[in-house]
Parts: sequence; C-alpha cells; structure tokens
Amino acid sequence: MAESILKIENFTMHYMTKAGEVSAVDNVSLEIRKGESLGLVGESGCGKTSLAISIMKLLPENAVIKGGHIYFDGTDLVPLSEDEMRRFRWRRISMIFQAAMNSLNPVYRVSDQIIEAMETHFGNIDYSEAREKVANLFRLVGLDPKFMDQYPHEYSGGMRQRAVIAMALACEPDLIIADEPTTALDVIVQDNILRELKALQEKLGTTMIYISHDIAVIAEVSHRIGIMYAGKLVELADAEEIFHHPIHPYTAGLMSAFPSIIGPKRELVTIPGEPPDLLNPPSGCRFHPRCQYATEICREKEPEFKDYGSGHMASCWNPLEG
Amino acid sequence: MLRYVLRRLGQIVITLFVFLTLVYFLLEAQPGDYAQTFLSNPKLTKEQREALKAQFGLDRPLWERYLRYMGSLLKGNLGISFEHYPRSVVSVIAERAPRTILLFLTAQILSFLLGFSAGKVLAWRRGQAFEYVLTIGGVTLYTVFTPWFGLMMIWIFAYILHLFPVGKFVTPTLWRGAPVDANYVFIRILLSAFVASLALFLVLLATRRLNLALRRGLRGAGVLIILAGLLAYWLPSGITRYALDILYHLILPVMTLTLINFAGMMLLTRNSMLETMREDFVMAARAKGLPEGVIRDKHVARNAMLPVITSFIFSIAFVLDGGVITETVFSWPGMGLTLLEAAVAQDIPMVMGGLVFTGTLALLGHLVADITYAYLDPRIRYT
Amino acid sequence: MEEKTKVITKPKVEVILEEEERKRLKEMPLWRVRLYLTWREIRNNWRLFSENKIGLVGLGIIIFYAIMAIAHPILMKWVWDPNIYDPIVGYSYDEVLQPAPPSFRHLLGTDPLGRDVLSQLMYSTRSEFALGILAAIITVTIGTTVGAVAAYFGGIIDTLLMRLADLIIMLPFVTILIVLSALFKMNLIILAIVIGILSGFGGTGIVIKSQALTIKVRAYIEAAKVSGGSNWHIIFRHIIPNLMPLSFLYMMFSVTSAIFSEAVLSFFGLLNIRMSWGLMIHTAQTAGYLLNPKTWWLIVPAGLSITLLCSAFYLVGRALDEIVNPRLRKR
Repeated sequence: MAESILKIENFTMHYMTKAGEVSAVDNVSLEIRKGESLGLVGESGCGKTSLAISIMKLLPENAVIKGGHIYFDGTDLVPLSEDEMRRFRWRRISMIFQAAMNSLNPVYRVSDQIIEAMETHFGNIDYSEAREKVANLFRLVGLDPKFMDQYPHEYSGGMRQRAVIAMALACEPDLIIADEPTTALDVIVQDNILRELKALQEKLGTTMIYISHDIAVIAEVSHRIGIMYAGKLVELADAEEIFHHPIHPYTAGLMSAFPSIIGPKRELVTIPGEPPDLLNPPSGCRFHPRCQYATEICREKEPEFKDYGSGHMASCWNPLEG
Repeated sequence: MLRYVLRRLGQIVITLFVFLTLVYFLLEAQPGDYAQTFLSNPKLTKEQREALKAQFGLDRPLWERYLRYMGSLLKGNLGISFEHYPRSVVSVIAERAPRTILLFLTAQILSFLLGFSAGKVLAWRRGQAFEYVLTIGGVTLYTVFTPWFGLMMIWIFAYILHLFPVGKFVTPTLWRGAPVDANYVFIRILLSAFVASLALFLVLLATRRLNLALRRGLRGAGVLIILAGLLAYWLPSGITRYALDILYHLILPVMTLTLINFAGMMLLTRNSMLETMREDFVMAARAKGLPEGVIRDKHVARNAMLPVITSFIFSIAFVLDGGVITETVFSWPGMGLTLLEAAVAQDIPMVMGGLVFTGTLALLGHLVADITYAYLDPRIRYT
Repeated sequence: MEEKTKVITKPKVEVILEEEERKRLKEMPLWRVRLYLTWREIRNNWRLFSENKIGLVGLGIIIFYAIMAIAHPILMKWVWDPNIYDPIVGYSYDEVLQPAPPSFRHLLGTDPLGRDVLSQLMYSTRSEFALGILAAIITVTIGTTVGAVAAYFGGIIDTLLMRLADLIIMLPFVTILIVLSALFKMNLIILAIVIGILSGFGGTGIVIKSQALTIKVRAYIEAAKVSGGSNWHIIFRHIIPNLMPLSFLYMMFSVTSAIFSEAVLSFFGLLNIRMSWGLMIHTAQTAGYLLNPKTWWLIVPAGLSITLLCSAFYLVGRALDEIVNPRLRKR
C-alpha cells in the first residue's frame, strides 16, 4: 500500500467580499496516495479551484483559512509563512493553470521561463545543462525542442499547453495539480493531451490532481474521483465505483446528465435548479433544495462524510442503494 | 527585429522629408517675400547676396526654389544667421546643440527612471493617504506653469538656500584663462556618457546567458572597469574641474525639467502595474515560488513598463518644449534659448534652422524609443 | 415614406428606463419626453460627477475665476478710479516707488509701470477664458470631424489623416508656436485658431477615431445605411452625436493646453496682446525683477493663476473622464 502524500483534514476557507463572507470551501477532507491520480469534478463555483490554490497557498488577499490542515508529506502547510511555502512551490507541488495561454509571461522566451524555475529551486546551475534539461522536457511532452527559444505568442494553443506542462515538470515535483488543463482547447487536441498526460503520469509516477467540470475528461485520467458541490466534498471513490455505484444523488445526477454516443437514445435528465449562493448557503445538506430524495433531516443537519466500504466515501442522509 | 528597425527607419526618413517640406512651405507662406527678408540684411556683401540668390534660387519659380532648398538642406546649408552674422546657421547649431542634448537626455532619462520607480513602489505598497498625497502632488507638477515653477526653483535653491548657481552654464571667473572652450568640455562629457552607457549595455547583453553567480560577478566587474575607464580618462585630462563646473550648473535645470515630467510617468506606471498584477502569469510566477522582488521586477514591472514606454515616446515632444522654457529661465545657452532669441529678433534663417534641428531631434528620439519598445515587447516586432 | 426616414434620422442614443418611468413617458407628447430624458441625463451625470471630489475642486476654481472676470468691469465702473486702476494705462499716483508692495489700496501691489496688479489679474481672466474656450471649440470640432471621417471611411483617408496626426504629435508644440509667432504676427484670436487647428489635427483626432470605430459597427449604423442614408448624413447625424461626451471631455484638456501655451508665448514676449497673465511675468522680466524674490507679487499671483486655472480644467476633465469612460467608473 503506497503511503499518502497529501492529506487534507477538515479544511475550510472563506472569501471576504464587499457583499459578505463567501463559504468557498467547507470542511473538506481527503487523502491521496503516492502515484495516484485524483479527479475533482463539480459545477463552476463549487470550490474545486479554490481548493487547488489553497493547497499551494496561492490565495488572494481577501481569502481567509478558517480551519483545518493540509498535510503534504507529513508537513502541515496551513500555518507556514510565505517564505516557507516558497520552498514547496514548484519544487514539491506544481500547478498547470486553467487557460494556460496566459500563464506564460509574454516578454520572455519559453526556455528562459522554465530555466528561471529551475534556477530558483536548484540554485547555481550551469546554463547549457539547464538548456539540455529543457530540451528533454520538451521531448517528453511532445514538443520539438527547436521551438524552445521562441516567445509564447508564437506558439499555438496546444503547444502552449504542452509548454506549461513541461514547465510544471521542470523541478520534478511530487504532486502536480492540473486545473482544467484542456478546457480552452479543441476536442482533438484535448484528447491528445489527456492521453499524453496520463502516460506521463504513469511513466514518472507523479501524483496528480485533475480538476474539471467535464466528467468525461475526469473519467479518462483518474484512478479516484471526488465530487464537489457548493464548497463541500460530497463523494469520493474509485473511478469504477463512482460510475457504477454512485451513492450521493448529485453524483447520480451527474452520471445521467452525461449523454452517451453508444446505446439507445434516452432523454437527458438534468438536475433542476441552480447552484446555491455561497454567501448564504442552504442549511443542513447544501444539496437538499435540488435533491429529489430530500427529507426533513436533510434540511436540518449536515450529513457526515463517512466510509461506505473499501474507501468509498460520501455524505448523505439518504444514500442510493445498488 | 532587424527588419522592424529598417522599416521604422524608412518611415522616419519619409516623415522627416514631409516635415522639411512643410517647413519650407511655412517659409513661403509668410506674409511678405521671404526672399526679401533673407536678402534685406544690410550687412551682406554683394558677393554673398549673389551667392544666396543662386543657392536658394530666389529668382526662380516655386518648384525650383523648393528643390534647391531641400538640396541645400541635405548638404547641411541652412543659410546665414542675421543676428550672429557672419556665422552660418549650422555653425551656431553645432555650437549650441550639445548643450541642449545634454540637458534633454539627462532630464528625459531621469524622469523616466524616477517616475517608473516611484510608480512601481506606489503600486506595490498600497496605502490610502500615501496615494492621495502623491496623486495630488503629481497632478500639481503636471499642470504647473513651467516658467513659474522654474523661477520658484531658482528662488528656493539659489537665492534662499544658496545651493546652486542662479543660471548660465559656466562660472565666468573659474573659466578665465582656461585652456579650452566650453564646447570642447561639453562634447567630451557627452561622448564619455555615451561610451559608458554603450559599454554597460554591451556588458549586460553579453552576460545574459550565463549561470547566476558568474553573471553577477562579471556584471559587477564590468561596471567597475567602466568606472575605472571613465576616471582614467578624466582625472589626468586637466579639464575635470571645468567639466564639474558645467555639471554643477546642470543640476538645477535638470531637476526642474525632471520634476515636471516625472509625475505623469509615475501615475501611469502605478496604474499599469495595478492592471498587470491581475494577469494570470503573475499568479503563475508566484506559484513557481519566485521571491517577491523578482515577481515585482521581472514579471510585473517588465510588462507594466510597456504602456509607460509608449507614453515616454510621446513625452519626448513635451520634454523638448520644457527644455526651451527651462533654458530661458536658467539662461542655459542651448538651442531652445537660441531659437527664442532668434524669434524675438526676427532672425528668420536662425528660426528655421532651430525648427529643423528640433524637429529632427524629436523624430530621432521617436525612432530610438520605438526601437527600444520593440526590443522590450517581442509581440510588436511583427507588425 | 417621409415619416419613416424622419424617424431613422434622429440620433440614436441608448437610454435605460425603469418600468414606472416608462409608463409615465408613454402618456407624454414627444417633445416633453425628450426634455425629460435630457434633464434626467444631466441629473445623473451631475451625481456621478460630484461623487468625485477632485472634479468639484476644479469646478470651484473655475467658478472663482469666472467671478473674477465678471467682477472686473463692475469694479472698474463703480468702485475703482480708472486713472489709477486701469490695467493697461493706469498709474498709481498714490504710491511713491514702483513696483509697490501689496497694501490696502493695492491688494496685490503694483507692477514696474505703476499699474495695479490685482486689476491686471482680473482683467486678463476674461481673455484667458475666451482664448481657452475658443481654442478648445476649434480643436474639438476639427478633432471630432477628423476622427469620425477617418473611422468611417477608412482606407487611404484614414491613413493620411493618421499620418498627419502622428507627425503633429511628434513635434514639440510650443516650439512650433514660437516659430509661427516669428513668422506671423499673432494676437489672441489668431493664436486660438492656430492652437485649435494644430491640436485638432493632432492627438485629439486619434483618440476620437478609436471611439468612432466602436460606434461605426453598431446596428443602427447598418440600419441607417440600408435605409439609404448618405455617408455624410450618417457621420453627422449618428456618429458625431455619440462622440459628443468624449469630445466634451477633450475640450477640458484643450483649454488647459491653450491657456498654458498662451501663457508661455506671452512670457516670451512673442504675442501681440495688451494684457495677460504671461505678459505680466514678461513685464517683470524686462524690468529686471524676474529673479528677485522681494518683488514676489509681480510673479506669484500671475504664475499661480495660470497653474490654478490649468489644473482646474484638467481636474474637471479627469472627473468627466470617469463619467464618460465606462471602464473607469467605480460602479
């Protein structure tokens, strides 16, 4: 059994806005083992990106951590200062941002930006050695090293995405968080990149967290899947389990909302209503206003996030059978 | 990059040509015959009168006069000044121009550096009262009446505090019996500044691709060598105290010109920095674990700089204008003051010569700024 | 057919109304509706404008100087003895030494020629305003037309106009004015026209053109074209009215620039006028009192006034910028 590399315990984070306090991430607990890939799914605004940037403590000024722990390889990241966090960033945990196009600085060459990351964490490195490393990284992600010294605006969308992946791998991190890595790309490029990412992960043994609202994408690349709704983690299980035996009604709803090319045509079942306003989240279970199985207790008390057998976690008062 | 430079150069040459043509037609458009004005100087000898007639084709049709004028311009002949007779306009310009260039370059570079750094700090550390004060101060400096401001500076620093001389650019007593004239020293100052900057730039360029420790070491060594070189040239030359005297007189005018111009740049930098800080690549830089200073300078400032450089390009004209006013108030005998005196004395050849000089300087400044911008923003090199 | 074209020719301005207002307006005749809408627009804009303290400060200064300009002829007619207080030909017999320092009789002292400084200051205010506003009107008229034409027609007209504008903004403004004043005798009106033409074909055109470009692509322009509106008709009836807010904004900056330029030129003594703030400083210079801090009243009031009035228009312009440019609005 591989050891756990990331353990999030009862983590809560709010944003202080002019309109009030937004409960972006509420009491989330999860654990990832080394070499595993976890997929986080949810609608826009459900807190998955907030959780991701919380792990790297890249929070904006108006964000406040209300409680909980994030244990990375044994160290709790929550109380660490900016200076201390810097040692972890990129070297131990790196990130592939949403809309990667814009995460490259337009005025520097791509190779220089990757070397900058290496220089920061590996200190005094020889310049030609660094360039050799960058060339290798490029080949690893499927880019021709001859493009190394060009500027970001000279790359196509897919190339930029690969460059950003290469940059994320530069310092050989233990954990990579990929936030919607393919959302801005067309379907074909998306497919290629997903397959390459999966192959890379298996080859290098890096732990990965994939974040997406697209369950099809998550299904392709994850070992385990976590479903987030309104800032809470409502279900967490192996990919197979999630698809064939969902426990939480929201999960089931997501599955049915996914059209299938094969098989007979069936009516698309959507989940009625809209995601709740996180300034004033619903009482009790946050999903109850939209849930067809909701009962009295769902409105009153928040369900516990518990294990339903062999690591399949969910929080629901009326879990689905079968 | 080279293609871009050549293209811009071509455009500037065309613009210069159009400008000179307009200058010529301005001359023609004057009430009264400019030919008469040129020839009416009673001090001209008969031969000179004939020579002028031939040179400018003053008794020929319009298009021929135009061609001859442009021709003589290209040959560097701008006529003979009335006031400074018998000196030619070009010789007067050659004498006065270095002084203006020194003032202009120093003020322009300082106001950019000062404005940019102040704006950078202002954006990075936000504080209510601080910002308010600086904004009000900035606007005041931006709209203050320049001659009045110059006078205030003189009153405060020269009269009351006795820190700086009241005007002019040399202290006559010091220069009595000097082995060389002021211009000689001037050109040396300009040249050494130019050579030192070029050397510094080359050092920076050459050490870009080395590893960290070697890079810092070599750059430090380079700076020291350049400084040593400067000292080696100036100290034994015997004219150092004259150079220092000129620089001493330069301080107050430069300070005035810089203060007036830096406010706009500071406010613009601040706004630009605030906008750039919201970009995704800044968050990515933080994620890479880079230190605060590096993020602020290498990532945010480097990008925020771009709109500021654009405004810098436009401010060239303003600094040249400000230069004319500053030269007048401080009696700094550069091209600006010369132009003004010529205008008051109705010395038309000199006025036109001054216009040609200023216009050419402005266009050149524009070209340099454009190229600098293209160097800093790789995206623009393809337009 | 006549009726239809009339409807389309009204300049299209976007207005957002509440339900209640809409109901009330349905009852009123057309002219009253338009009056109401105009009043509503003015009221809203005033509210936005006054939110910004800086704009109010600027406006206050402008009103202060306007009062000075109006007060002067009144003072001259009824309060002051014209022999002493006339700004150009008066002479203060009541002072022995000229220039005299400020006193009760002469609140800002007298100039080297014995004329009351306060009277000069107030008298010049009128011409400063006149010059500024005239130059601004000309600048903005030309600039708006240039911008609209360049945006609408595009192609070679656009290139020519923009190249011309590029040339003008590259060259130092004051320097050109100095040269012009050497070649042509300039008084206030000619100066205003010259400043107006130069600025109009220069930077203002470029800014207005970008705004005009965004208007050009709107649906009602297409509609106007399709229904047979001629080019000039579209430009003057549709595009330009929508550029008005921006034009008005740039008028403020033009006034600042015009007053400043005039002051510089009269400080140099290159202008053919009888009295202005710049000229007051010039008089001090020719009499040798320029660098003397003891005769501060010769320089400070005039210089301060120029600075204040220029800043005032600039501040009002900045505050207007927040209204006109929706990107900058705080809401």
